[in-house]
Amino acid sequence: MGALDKAQENIKMDMTPMIDCVFLLMIFFVLVIDLSQTELEDLILPKAQYAVPDDKPPENRPVVNVMQDGLVKFKRNVYHDPGKDGLENYQRVKTDLLPKLKAMSKDITPENLGGRTIQVINDPILIRADKWTDWYHVGKFMENCITPEAAFWKIELAMSEKDKEEVLLKAARR
Amino acid sequence: MGHLKDAQEEMELDMTPMIDVVFLLIIFFICIDFKVLEAKLPAYLPKDVGTATVQAEPQEKLRIQIVCDNPGTPVPRYPNAPAGDERARAIRLEGHRIRWTVGPKEFNSVEKLLAELKRVRALPSTMQKDPKTGAPKVMTVVIEPGPDTVYGDVAVTVDAVQAADFSEINFGGGLKGKNQGGALRRP
Repeated sequence: MGALDKAQENIKMDMTPMIDCVFLLMIFFVLVIDLSQTELEDLILPKAQYAVPDDKPPENRPVVNVMQDGLVKFKRNVYHDPGKDGLENYQRVKTDLLPKLKAMSKDITPENLGGRTIQVINDPILIRADKWTDWYHVGKFMENCITPEAAFWKIELAMSEKDKEEVLLKAARR
Repeated sequence: MGHLKDAQEEMELDMTPMIDVVFLLIIFFICIDFKVLEAKLPAYLPKDVGTATVQAEPQEKLRIQIVCDNPGTPVPRYPNAPAGDERARAIRLEGHRIRWTVGPKEFNSVEKLLAELKRVRALPSTMQKDPKTGAPKVMTVVIEPGPDTVYGDVAVTVDAVQAADFSEINFGGGLKGKNQGGALRRP
């Protein structure tokens, strides 16, 4: 028995470095996931039938989320709330959001349109809206993306490769 | 020396499990895709603000109207979500139905709409002269979403227009819905 005890003592392993490593990796990946998802709100996009996946999105492209209840969100902050601001009042979008989006843009050209100088921004904005968001809310936001100080005219609409709602419904049926 | 050797042997660390775990984690994180795979559909808004003083040359455009035949009944998307949760407010519209109007023709499926758009795209009259450069360009498509249409309806339409190889897409038609954009529709 004495020999067996000694052998058991010899095969004892120090788990500390392994746990250290695992924890470090976990912390790293948790941070990376969180940082990459801050722009994307939890909503269900319509399914794309023909559009190709957006594999290489341009750097610094602003992503604006329009929620089902008309909230306009950018990087987790709300810039329009129809319940508080009113359906038509997009003043906060014009005064607070557009300057932030403009600061992210690189391709800005002043153009003389209709006798006025307009700061035309040639970088696109990606709009992510829920598939059941009323077009009224998305259209109103787009209308308010054009001001003389910042005229965003290139818009990209986001779609999804999969219909997540169908997955939810299938799961509910089971 | 005999004692020192024994001590060194006891201090030896078995690195195998640690390396195993590290490799498994690396493989796992390499294999999963952090990016949410989404597609983008480019469209353009009119740049001019206010009244233009320059007479614009009229350009023929292809108008696609989206007409909502049935707005649908709001049904909770997550029926089991707790009352205070943001998800409890999410809905889906059961029975929502739309149709498309291109000129005098009407379509009730996106496949039929795409077939018509491809037919129109193949016509020689679809190619126009760019008013600025004079170079040939494809006719602009104007999508006009009607009252009670939702983002999904418009996105699907833009998807079909792009698939038919039209590159310039504008939006029109106004935004007044009979229920002011469905703001009163929330459950």
